[in-house]
Amino acid sequence: MTVEAGANQRRRRGIRKSGLVVAAAAALFAAACTGTDAETDAPDATDASSAVPSVVTTTSIWGDVVSNVGCDDSVSVTTLIPQGGDPHSYEPSLRDRETMGAADLVVANGLGLEERIEDTLEAVAAEGVHVFEVAEHIDTIEFEFSGGHDDHGHDDHDEEDGHDHEDDHGHDHSGDDPHVWFDPQRVAGVLGELADELIHAGADADTINRCLDSYREALEDTDAEIAEILDAVPTDRRILITNHDAFGYFADRYGFEIVGTVIPSLSTAAETNPALLEELAEIIEHEGVPAVFSETTHSDADIQALATAAGDISVVQLLTGSLAPEGEEGDTLIGMLRFNANAIADALG
Amino acid sequence: MTFLTDPVAWWIEPFTSNPFMTKALAAGLLAVLTTSMVGTWVVLRSLNFLGDALAHGVLPGIAIAFIVGFDTGLGALAAAIVMVSAISFIPRISPLSEDTSIGVLFVGLLALAVVIMSSGAAAGSGDIDRFLFGSITGVQNTDLVRQAVVAVVAVGGAVVFYRAFFVMTFCEVQAEMARLRPRLTHGILMVLLAITIVGSFQVVGSLLVMAFLIAPPATASMFLRRVPLIMVAAVLIGAVSVNIGLLLSYHHRLAGGASMALTAVAILFAAMLIRALVYALRPAPHEDQLPVQMLADSR
Repeated sequence: MTVEAGANQRRRRGIRKSGLVVAAAAALFAAACTGTDAETDAPDATDASSAVPSVVTTTSIWGDVVSNVGCDDSVSVTTLIPQGGDPHSYEPSLRDRETMGAADLVVANGLGLEERIEDTLEAVAAEGVHVFEVAEHIDTIEFEFSGGHDDHGHDDHDEEDGHDHEDDHGHDHSGDDPHVWFDPQRVAGVLGELADELIHAGADADTINRCLDSYREALEDTDAEIAEILDAVPTDRRILITNHDAFGYFADRYGFEIVGTVIPSLSTAAETNPALLEELAEIIEHEGVPAVFSETTHSDADIQALATAAGDISVVQLLTGSLAPEGEEGDTLIGMLRFNANAIADALG
Repeated sequence: MTFLTDPVAWWIEPFTSNPFMTKALAAGLLAVLTTSMVGTWVVLRSLNFLGDALAHGVLPGIAIAFIVGFDTGLGALAAAIVMVSAISFIPRISPLSEDTSIGVLFVGLLALAVVIMSSGAAAGSGDIDRFLFGSITGVQNTDLVRQAVVAVVAVGGAVVFYRAFFVMTFCEVQAEMARLRPRLTHGILMVLLAITIVGSFQVVGSLLVMAFLIAPPATASMFLRRVPLIMVAAVLIGAVSVNIGLLLSYHHRLAGGASMALTAVAILFAAMLIRALVYALRPAPHEDQLPVQMLADSR
């Protein structure tokens, strides 16, 4: 029943196969002799441990925070997600995997922000690398799936902290909002634990404690400064309509109300729907909302359409999941928070 | 050009100095072993669309399992079984063809998965991409165990049902006469296909598993006649794709799963061009230039 092959065919096949066999043998050889001589490679990380600990962060935002808590080069920081990259959709390469595996400490946001790095974080942690997920140590807000309208006039997400955050590490997707960095007070509150982690990873304790104090102070000053900037916006105009639900903590901190988001999700990976857009357009017209807010890390096609539909109101771009490119306004967390506050105050004030 | 100038550093050292690279390689090789067995029949029987549809059809099962906190592999398997049954059920109760029922179930289930993942129940973890592309950087030992089990099932299935699949593929009339129950055989192949996809999606993702399912067996089938040889060659071609893909991802910071899939497809095109060139340079077409199916049909 088998089909015969001609002699030429057989010869060609022979040559091809020998090539494949060599390549496959190389693969198997590579697999077979693993773990024998570990000192040959692993370029950057291990030999640096004598000097300063290497810390890998997922987002540029936490990269900036870690550099500030570990100031004066007391830690060496590597950030995985490039500037302008969306933390919701960044997929790590095997090089990134190496960088994480060789780190003294990995700092991630957690709570599902880095959706496609989650598995890798777990694998790295299982290997014994210390992983600190910042948002797991912060008093979080729960995501309310509310389309656009229903909770008008209710202006804070009072949860009375009804849930504890101790053991819901890893596969917990209860809907805690991961965008914690928009509240400088909350960030300031977690710096102590972050500093402990850095010291534990081998950073000089005196330096870290000094950096910690001055950065905490800087964040608290920023908080006051933002509140002042936002004084320009009267209470009844403190209404945010954003691209995806990223500003829960900002709203919580500064008394804003998020009446709706174009993408009804904490993640940019979800989708909007026409009914929601129509609802939002109605709210905008009814409340006389002068501007809606897009973000640098995601397409603004839908929110532009919304702005047009709602009578050509302006679309203002905010920084969300990534800092601005170095040298531009908003290239640090503090700069980013100030940039957003100014943009919001200008648009709504 | 370091892969030529310093071959050891480019080809070998990433694997010898990084346990995670070995794990990724092991996961990739197990996926290739699994997909090559079933993929060969998928290619020979032109079931690519079914495979693609099944790869997406499992998504609602994964999504529901993910939200409920249940094992996503079992969720995928449940969805695959529902889909496979529906595919054979629809043509029996309606005038619609199997092709149409596959198409309808494909988009229907994909849409269902998107709706589920962007609903309130998913509470903002709305990313279906993570299932489509997998996570070769996050391979853990439990994943490898699962994959090994699936690989054993796939290889075992390929051996046990070899004759039935062969007769069904090349001599359907004879299969009827020999009472080999082609419908049942087809069902078994679909179940094996489902298991293959379910076993591999956590590593390469449900979308990219198609690259492994189709590209290496298709490449091999251009040059080889005998089915077992196609399977073996597909495993080897797949292994090379995994190896090169991982190294490209490692050296050039590319997404891992996609690099492997792209390599597999690139090898197919390279082989196709070489083959076309070789045939252009020689005169008369030979019988063995014909694809396997046509040969069998002409008998």
